[in-house]
Amino acid sequence: MSAGAGTLLGHHWRRHRTALVMLCLGMALFQGIITRVAPSPEQASFLRNLLQMAPGPVLQALGEQITANLSARGFLAFFYVHPFPLLMLAVWSIRVSAGALAREIGQGTMDLIASRPVTRASQVTAALIALLAGLALIAAAAWAGTAIGLFSRPIPEVRATDYLPAAFQLWLLFAAFGGVGLLISASHKEGGPAIALLAGLMAVSFALDYLARVWQPIHGLRPLSLFRYYDPQAILRQGLAGADALVLVGVAVVTAIAAYAVFAWRDL
Amino acid sequence: MSSAAIETRGLGKRYGRVRALEDLSLRVEEGEVFGFLGPNGAGKTTTIRLLLGLLRPSAGAATVLGRAAAPGAAEVRGDLGYLPGELALWPAFTGAHTLAFLERLSGRPAVDRAALVGRLGLTTAELDRAVHGYSDGMKQKLGIVQALQCRPKLALLDEPTKGLDPLVQREFYAVLADARRQGMTIFFSSHVISEAERVCDRVGMLRAGKLVSVGTVEELRRAQRRRVIAVFGDDVDAAALAHFGEVVEREARRVVLQVAQEELPALVARLGMMPLVDLVVEPPSLEEVFLERYR
Repeated sequence: MSAGAGTLLGHHWRRHRTALVMLCLGMALFQGIITRVAPSPEQASFLRNLLQMAPGPVLQALGEQITANLSARGFLAFFYVHPFPLLMLAVWSIRVSAGALAREIGQGTMDLIASRPVTRASQVTAALIALLAGLALIAAAAWAGTAIGLFSRPIPEVRATDYLPAAFQLWLLFAAFGGVGLLISASHKEGGPAIALLAGLMAVSFALDYLARVWQPIHGLRPLSLFRYYDPQAILRQGLAGADALVLVGVAVVTAIAAYAVFAWRDL
Repeated sequence: MSSAAIETRGLGKRYGRVRALEDLSLRVEEGEVFGFLGPNGAGKTTTIRLLLGLLRPSAGAATVLGRAAAPGAAEVRGDLGYLPGELALWPAFTGAHTLAFLERLSGRPAVDRAALVGRLGLTTAELDRAVHGYSDGMKQKLGIVQALQCRPKLALLDEPTKGLDPLVQREFYAVLADARRQGMTIFFSSHVISEAERVCDRVGMLRAGKLVSVGTVEELRRAQRRRVIAVFGDDVDAAALAHFGEVVEREARRVVLQVAQEELPALVARLGMMPLVDLVVEPPSLEEVFLERYR
């Protein structure tokens, strides 16, 4: 890493450190609380019986695996795909990817950076490292919350290490979104529109995944959503799916490369 | 012949159908203070941004300190100092942190920071405050310090005195003079004619993206028509003087003309044959040259 990229990385840290600490604490606290309210094996059994009495369409709307997941293990895994942790990681992805390039351009501060002997590739590299490192810390905080929670309230047959692959895939999911965000940021000249576009894409992707699961006519569109490649409950049952991880890594790599190319060629 | 700090050949920049800069061919020598004059939207900032590699030219090419000016030419920017025309700073950073951060990015030690901070009147207490509490003048002082603190070989200053009070402006001119003595090349844009007249070795004038004149202040003045005021003892026929220049005012015994320099000897000879009691020939100010070019 060049000296310029190192200095810019310090710049990102200084700008985003408070937010990062808050996001990590929020995430750890949330997952820790979830372990406190997770159903005991008896409660889970009662809920499963209750749910089996529900009409078919209701079960379909709740998701095919809902009954299978009605256990303490499944319950904890569900909170790895709950909107709250997704929001925590989305905030970081949007903040760093859009803030690094488009926001600096829009505010006018990019002039002071880009007029120094710093390559444009260094700028993208610094943003990418800040993005991925922050996402890793927040995903790790999620798992740490689960681990601390399970340490303080042990649940039979539930181990904290079972959730490491889910936390890893969560990181991959938002690394992919972060790559998309960096590409959007590299091609925009204002932070606001870049933020709005990335947030919109995330929301549409989330909605598409949900609707395609419960509404058969659009089921074929599900692969278009990045959320299709992140299913913590399936990971818990079957382990990490290599193909899903590969798609997310592919999106992250391709969009990051495109961000380098676009940012190198554009006018600032 | 000395080497060029800046050289452009047919440099142009278009934004869609709008021509921001057209066919700019210019040479600025090392150690020179060059003023780039023009009204808003003339292309001054576009030129500076092209030299820094922030923009890609639509036509032509530029070299800065002997190296091509391009977005990928990061190395050359280590020898440059830049003050943007629309200076934007990070509001949450203190002045001291801003200067330290930009020093690290420059990759050169800020050898002149303390002296510049002192000369421009920024105090330690002010530098320890977040920039969002700064007045426009303080921000501009910080902008000047960050541009010059690492003693660049070439300083590109876009309207550097904007927002400075007259005392600080005067000190800034002294800073420029000292920098020039140390061998720094200074390229600055302005629409304040008096400051260009005061500090520049040469000036270039831009109009609607085109360079309309370039030369020393003296050369430009010489090329400009003189204002001649002739006062007579009797009524005279001012029409008799019209073919020497433009009669801009006439009273019974007082005539004011605009006359090209080469017409002056003939005019003076003709006036000598008239009942002349007083004659004033005013050299044009750079402002008059400027206004004449943009009329």
